Amino acid sequence: MPVLELRGVTKDYKLGKTTVRALRGLDLEIEAGEVVAIMGPSGSGKSTLMHILGALDRPTSGRASIESSDLSQLKERDLVTLRGRKIGFVFQTFNLVQTLSAQRNVELPMTFQGVGRGERSRRARELLEKVGLGDRIKHKPNELSGGERQRVAVARALANDPEIVLADEPTGNLDTETGESILALLKELSVRDRKTVILVTHDPEAAAIADRVVRLRDGCVSSSARHGGEGAGTPSPGTNSEAGAGREVASAASREPQSGARHADEVGHA
Amino acid sequence: MRKFFDFLALAGQGILHRQLRSWLTVIGVVIGIAAVVGLISIGLSFEKTITDEVSKVFGVDTFMILNSEVFGGGAHGGTADEYALDLELLNSIEGVRVAAAVRQRTGFVQGQPDAEGNVLQGFLPVMGLSPELVTEFESFTGELEVMPGGRLIEAGDVEVALLDYEISRRLRVEVGDTILVAGDGDAELNLTVIGIMAPPEEEDSGGGPGMSFSMSSDGDTISVPYETMDLLWGPADDVLITLVRTVEGYDVDDVADRAEEVLTERGSDISAVTYSDISNQIGQFTAIASALLGGIAGISLLVGGVGVMNTMFTSVLERTKQIGVMKAVGAKNSHVWAIFLLESGLIGLVGGIVGTLLGLGIYQLGISLINRLGSGFEMITVISGGLIGITLLGSFLIGAISGLLPAWRASRLPVVDALRYE
Repeated sequence: MPVLELRGVTKDYKLGKTTVRALRGLDLEIEAGEVVAIMGPSGSGKSTLMHILGALDRPTSGRASIESSDLSQLKERDLVTLRGRKIGFVFQTFNLVQTLSAQRNVELPMTFQGVGRGERSRRARELLEKVGLGDRIKHKPNELSGGERQRVAVARALANDPEIVLADEPTGNLDTETGESILALLKELSVRDRKTVILVTHDPEAAAIADRVVRLRDGCVSSSARHGGEGAGTPSPGTNSEAGAGREVASAASREPQSGARHADEVGHA
Repeated sequence: MRKFFDFLALAGQGILHRQLRSWLTVIGVVIGIAAVVGLISIGLSFEKTITDEVSKVFGVDTFMILNSEVFGGGAHGGTADEYALDLELLNSIEGVRVAAAVRQRTGFVQGQPDAEGNVLQGFLPVMGLSPELVTEFESFTGELEVMPGGRLIEAGDVEVALLDYEISRRLRVEVGDTILVAGDGDAELNLTVIGIMAPPEEEDSGGGPGMSFSMSSDGDTISVPYETMDLLWGPADDVLITLVRTVEGYDVDDVADRAEEVLTERGSDISAVTYSDISNQIGQFTAIASALLGGIAGISLLVGGVGVMNTMFTSVLERTKQIGVMKAVGAKNSHVWAIFLLESGLIGLVGGIVGTLLGLGIYQLGISLINRLGSGFEMITVISGGLIGITLLGSFLIGAISGLLPAWRASRLPVVDALRYE
């Protein structure tokens, strides 16, 4: 039973008078506990897909369900509850509330779910401890380094103990070393806590921790490659033919990519 | 309720984060609230001071009779219109314990000759006073002081006169001397001077109640017993004021109504004025004044409210991304709405608190200034808890109402667009 299931999903946007079709009949299944990297060039529909996977938006047509709840059938308020309880977000620009301390930032999602103060505080400390910021709980975001901020964001994503952690370019604003530690943290969520982790990324290193790399192109899944049990550090099997992935290719090449044999279209439509 | 306090804390953080702009906005509210509190407090002070003075003079059992033109006719103070009065009839009305009246004429008066035999004579104001004025209505007359060796008019006096200090000098008379006063026709009397009023100390500091009618401000009044006026000028048709004290247990307003009825039937053009009549008039007057002041203060509050709205709109725009994040992590539209509404309400409330304190400060300053300038009576300070409560609640509401639209806009932001906003 997949935790996320998209069938023939399309999404149209109106830009002025023209309608842009960002997703064109996309199919995707993600199993519980999987780490999935979604890659693709700019304009391939990554962000749009992430919005739908995160219950931030509904498809124009097709069926998108999160834990068997069809997004199209849900009312706005149920959508809010769904993402509040089932999904944790990690953003490229961290998006912490600048006025709140690390602890209060982590408490925020719990506040909206009506969790009591004591319980909130306890859990926030526990989570910050877990991401290695036990001694920074009173610090405001501007008193923390980029890596620390992203750790706070990860802790915040875990606040309501969601099934799914959705990370949008989590390493995009971090240096390599810091990025790696964040990736390790995310990987650990899957391995230790059985969370489903979805990374939307340009970064091949990020993709490397994934069990599976889903590549998008023109609003469709162009490939979905499983790594098997190879784990972190295994380079992503980049397809050289993909446009806009120059950095990916270069990086992957330098790491002596293993054969792309496992690169198989599982659910994607070409 | 738990969420309410959580959201309140979040809203408070929002304000603290933008200190300078928040405070500038708050200043707008502060000015408005300070104006409301200050002006209305001064209005309340005036009302309280005046009604207190009036009640001190009147007590619970006294009313006065004036020409109907005087009270309610608009011609307050100044030259009082005269009226005819049958004092005996008034005294016979049920419930009237004692009545005292003042009538005034201009009469021909002749003093004592000087060393060369010159006699000063001329037309001077002659006042007829009931002796009960002094014995029963001291609160109205104030404390009357005569020069040593003299006395005030007493019951049973007839051919006597009480002179103002100034005129006694000019007429060159002492206590025991006589003066000649001529009335209508060939009526004239030689009146023995029984007392000379002490000269007014400069700017008579005691002041006496505001109600005290002019006894001797011009310093050349000659006072005679009320009955003596009858001998000179016949029955009273020149009464300025009559004071009536009621028998204990009678309702002063009832007795006043009865007196008014009886005397009007007899042809007196009068109205009987009780404490409640006066306080009603004062109330009406101060209500108008308060409405006027409130209107002025309200305009400045409105300006403050617009300031809050502007700040909130800017704030919503500025925090579009934050709103997106809050929604992404599970904030409902109503949560966002509540947080922004509370934030603008808090701006209003903070402005209200500071404004109230400032307003009370300005008010105290104003009162002490008025008292120092010496308008004759001491202004009473009135700090109204009700006013402060209403003002604080009102300031929160003004903030919240000003924030309604911005908060609504914030809550309706589509989460995807808000997250994308840079």
